[in-house]
Amino acid sequence: MKLFKIKDRHTWTFFVLPGTILLVLVLGFPAFQSILYSIYPEGGGSSYTLNNYSILFNDAVFRQVFGNTVFFVILSVVSHLLLGLGVALVLNREIFAKPVFRLIALLPWVVPDVVAGIIWRWMFDPVYGAFNDLLIKIGLISTHVQWLSNPKLALPSVVFVNLWRGFPFVMLILLAGLQSIPRVLYEAAAIDGASRWQLFSRITLPSLKKMLVVALALDIVWEVRRFGLIQAMTQGGPGNITEVLSTYVYKQYFQFFRFEYASAVAVVMTAALLIVSLPYIWMISQEE
Amino acid sequence: MEGYGFLILVSIYALLPFIWMLSTSLKTEAEAFRVPPTWIPIKATLSAYVSMWTKKHFAIYFLNSTIISLATAVLSTFFGALAGYGFSRYIFYGRKFLIGFFLATQMLPGVLLVGPYFKILSKFGLYDTRTGLVIAFLTICLPFSTWMMKGFIDRVPDALDQAALVDGCSRLGVFFRVVLPISAPGMVATIIFAFLLAWGDLLWVICLTSTESMVTVTLGIARTVGEFQIIWPMLMAGALMGGMPAIILYLLLQRLLVQGLTAGAVKE
Repeated sequence: MKLFKIKDRHTWTFFVLPGTILLVLVLGFPAFQSILYSIYPEGGGSSYTLNNYSILFNDAVFRQVFGNTVFFVILSVVSHLLLGLGVALVLNREIFAKPVFRLIALLPWVVPDVVAGIIWRWMFDPVYGAFNDLLIKIGLISTHVQWLSNPKLALPSVVFVNLWRGFPFVMLILLAGLQSIPRVLYEAAAIDGASRWQLFSRITLPSLKKMLVVALALDIVWEVRRFGLIQAMTQGGPGNITEVLSTYVYKQYFQFFRFEYASAVAVVMTAALLIVSLPYIWMISQEE
Repeated sequence: MEGYGFLILVSIYALLPFIWMLSTSLKTEAEAFRVPPTWIPIKATLSAYVSMWTKKHFAIYFLNSTIISLATAVLSTFFGALAGYGFSRYIFYGRKFLIGFFLATQMLPGVLLVGPYFKILSKFGLYDTRTGLVIAFLTICLPFSTWMMKGFIDRVPDALDQAALVDGCSRLGVFFRVVLPISAPGMVATIIFAFLLAWGDLLWVICLTSTESMVTVTLGIARTVGEFQIIWPMLMAGALMGGMPAIILYLLLQRLLVQGLTAGAVKE
């Protein structure tokens, strides 16, 4: 496949090893430490124990937070995919002012998480915020809605903001995928009398398969890790209504100083993430 | 054209929060608390911006964010380019495993690492320092940088390497004098992507700093949320200025960044 001189065969170590060693040091080692903490008994002691894990699985708050995270991630990813694909399909046509639309659609994804969260917190302000004002003006609601403090609305509201935040990335990836599909495929199928739905389901979707997998995998990982957005908007409140795993671990560590328990939660979270993303890692590394 | 209605709706959804941010940042404190809210400030003023720089330590926040993000970006792109070249040009035993390792590290959540980092950095006297944060940010950025640089280097034909080698150039010479100059635009894109990853982070900064002199832009904004009375025009001015570098860099380098992000996913 690639030719190189025999004496050159081992120089790969020079290129690959510095980064690898650095990653092991700054990432592998602390990750290992975290696993160790998670099997230390809480409050000190010398022997290893799985006690933290049994506390965790019997903890109603943890289960609620886990459920919140699953709800948040699934709804976010599915909505990103639907809106991202929709916008990408329209932007892939020959339309007027395409670059302008693409630029505008990209903006929510560009700013830092915290900035996005803080803007929407202010948008959602029940009395002084823009969101209620607009909805009242177009007649959708008649009273001021407490978007972030009503227990029933808080988590869906956070997901709504995260849809705004995350759909541009999926759009970007899928648009790149759409643009790489050869036009002749569509022309040939159109000559054969294919309907629009057939064009979409037989050509577009199969050609996008790989991009969909990439977008889906990266998006799932990012949504599970999402921290700044929620921290800036609700800090997990009211109560634990919008608490997700990342804000929960942070609180356990740095507000309640339960290092061992927090590590156990983080380890469970990581395990879940790796299981979900393993097929993706496998697919990419086998292809390379 | 059926698509236009949809596009316009999506554009309003995307843009409205930004307009609201801009509008609020130009208001007086009293006008920000008017009911019903105004969209165009009755009396536009820049005083919220001035206050951010004079009453808050926004200059320090900005400087911290810039130094930390820049150092992270340059370091992670350098090591990422080296590793990316190695993965792009060599076939060796354990290559697939190492690629899998780099990809897997990209998946690890920050909260798995912040606890040990807090303890380790404290032990070495690096807690609450910029150096400590740069080390921490390498964990987020290095996997991405490697992956992006590999994608860009894959586009440089291997024949160029071979020609240079035949002419007596060393591998290092090939890397520094042939491959890097050709993939310079890719390097710029990678540096900027890493810069923005570090710039936008809150988790690590909130966990690994404690004094006012180490606060970054994101932390400066996030902290105000807990304050008893939030002065919204100032906060929106801060948010706008904190988001500006990201917006400008993306707009300038949109095409390159998209290429970098989708590198490897689309085969040409």
